[in-house]
Amino acid sequence: MDETASYPPIEPSNFDLIVVGTGLPEAILAAAASAAGKSVLHLDPNPSYGSHYASLPLQEFTSYIESQSSDSSPISRPDTDSGYTRVGIATRPMYSSVEITSYSAEPLEQSRKFNIDLSGPRVLMCADAMIDLILKSEVNQYMEFKGIDGSFISDGEGNLENVPDSRSAIFKDRKLSFTEKNQLMRFFKLVQGHLEAAAGGGGGEQSSESRSISEQDLESPFSEFLSKMGLSPKLKSIVLYAIAMADYDQENRDVGKSVLKTKDGINRLALYHSSVGRFPNAPGAMIYPIYGQGELPQAFCRRAAVKGCIYVLRMPVNSLLMDKASGSCKGVCLASEQELFSHKLILAPSFAVQSPFPHSSPDTRDFRLRNTTEKLARSICISKHSLKLDVANCLIFFPPRSLFPEQVAAIHVLQLSSNVAVCPSGMFLTYLSAICEDDDQGKKLLHAAINVLFQAPVSGSSANNNSAENQSETGDARPALLWSVLYTQELAKQFQDVLDNIICTPMPDGSPYYHDLLGATEKIFQELYSGEEFFPKSTSSEEGAGQELED
Amino acid sequence: MPSRRRTLLKVIILGDSGVGKTSLMNQYVNKKFSNQYKATIGADFLTKEVQFEDRLFTLQIWDTAGQERFQSLGVAFYRGADCCVLVYDVNSMKSFENLNNWREEFLIQASPSDPENFPFVVLGNKVDVDGGNSRVVSEKKARAWCASKGNIPYFETSAKEGTNVEEAFQCIAKNALKSGEEEEIYLPDTIDVAASSQQRTGGCEC
Repeated sequence: MDETASYPPIEPSNFDLIVVGTGLPEAILAAAASAAGKSVLHLDPNPSYGSHYASLPLQEFTSYIESQSSDSSPISRPDTDSGYTRVGIATRPMYSSVEITSYSAEPLEQSRKFNIDLSGPRVLMCADAMIDLILKSEVNQYMEFKGIDGSFISDGEGNLENVPDSRSAIFKDRKLSFTEKNQLMRFFKLVQGHLEAAAGGGGGEQSSESRSISEQDLESPFSEFLSKMGLSPKLKSIVLYAIAMADYDQENRDVGKSVLKTKDGINRLALYHSSVGRFPNAPGAMIYPIYGQGELPQAFCRRAAVKGCIYVLRMPVNSLLMDKASGSCKGVCLASEQELFSHKLILAPSFAVQSPFPHSSPDTRDFRLRNTTEKLARSICISKHSLKLDVANCLIFFPPRSLFPEQVAAIHVLQLSSNVAVCPSGMFLTYLSAICEDDDQGKKLLHAAINVLFQAPVSGSSANNNSAENQSETGDARPALLWSVLYTQELAKQFQDVLDNIICTPMPDGSPYYHDLLGATEKIFQELYSGEEFFPKSTSSEEGAGQELED
Repeated sequence: MPSRRRTLLKVIILGDSGVGKTSLMNQYVNKKFSNQYKATIGADFLTKEVQFEDRLFTLQIWDTAGQERFQSLGVAFYRGADCCVLVYDVNSMKSFENLNNWREEFLIQASPSDPENFPFVVLGNKVDVDGGNSRVVSEKKARAWCASKGNIPYFETSAKEGTNVEEAFQCIAKNALKSGEEEEIYLPDTIDVAASSQQRTGGCEC
């Protein structure tokens, strides 16, 4: 901690907003508040940017995951003379059941050539609001992107089939029958007609009504609507899990988990379809940032810095300063013992504040995020060969029940290659994730998928007995695993602002893109600064340097 | 190889707060100087076209945006740099002594493929101050350090008076261009989300 000690004191000591943690929601909020003219201090106890949204070298990745898997108790501090109660901050574990298997020393030897996403598998949909925000906030000038080559759907037995996600993909598809091609083409047309009607007919002529989907259908489960439209089970599966990217089994209603309504399914389809072809040289609907998703929080932090936000990494916050009379938070006390003041505070989700007021109900005062019943099982696999011949970067979907009958959640898989600078050349990085109820269920799911996709070079995979049938085949086309990790991540979906001037940001969600996360982040901004514009259009050009010097 | 990288050169300027990094950039690109010091706010990067052997290049000079104050520059700032400019104030011994830390920080974070030969350029700024009477780092001492780190080119500059600024940046551009950094294979077909974004349509593309 001698590095923190060597910092000069932070000046000034009063801010409009103090943000702790540099994950993507925190970074966007810091940049948005700075762009709105607020004075912002942005702190992070870590030596690098990104918190739970970082991209890290292999070694740093494992130590981060492990460091965030255990509780830390808050350091109790004496109260100050300034009339504030100091309330300790602890970190709560966000990851559990971390299981690392190293079959080869090679990946670790090149640790720094990896940029491993903590929030993977994740891509950017070309037409997503996230891309619009990247452009509006001008962080695109700090980043570069590459296209994802394609999407595949697994039959659970090792076959990866193309996802026919556009007119040309349907046309070129070799696995679909003529009837199926027709069905899917008709369905896409119907959706397009509906969207055009919805966009065109605000209150005017309703001539296109026949092309709209009825209100009743829009409220019905998407899977039922797909059946009604005559889609075969195979096509339904493709639309539900590889295009609308539903998390849960949509057809087994007993599962009772989130059922996708037709209107939401249609919106996801619309996002997907308007993503295809938005950028002429992107081969599909999705792109990926070179050097990893962790570039995003860094780019937003730089944007914030350009607008005046002060950055201090390696600076833990030890306690909050609470007003004795009102009980509201007035600021923070740093590891350096410096006290800094702000009426608004944003905390990354891994921080927990101990209840300072024994007289109030613990439920409301202890504003740790309530653990939802859902968790996210995640895995990262390193191999030397691609899962699909001649494909560098791709998404793969395992629909529910494709691996075993009790599989209720879909598994999202993203393979990346060295051409997006996330691993050494000649290696491939594969992310897997699935929503689960507990660690064991999550592990079982991901192990089953990993066994279908990879072969473990030694018999060290004692836990993997789900699909041993194709293990011994000669000429096994599955790439051999060099290194893998499995772990479970807490899903703190809903932020709570029980102490009304402290807000917690969300953890990375289970979606393969940013739509919901950005929505939640924008909502936090509106709560903080209602009426202020979320990133007003910048007046200065990119050649902003020196403007301050001219006055 | 007709890659973007051949025409766009990324240069980053490092050094302690207050040594004149923003002023040097500003003097070079805009020929402007202000005596009023403010910790950098609003500085992002400046670009300047340079000609070298009949070809035009764009020099993209990145400011630290103030993130150097608490040594909080992220790895993204360092990535893909073609030349690293190290600046100190000849009137501040501490800023000179810190050059070593900045150089090491760069090599760790940017991890260039050939760290021994990565092009650095050192600038001793503010030689105009007090007619040189407040100077505490001698040219000899600075040159000795540069020599010991693999003959780093060295310039004594005044951003205020424009002394040596043009010469220094010509050297920076030349070295950035000759930078041994490998042409990264992924650069030619990156996606420019700003330039090629077409109007979003509400419906299906299919």
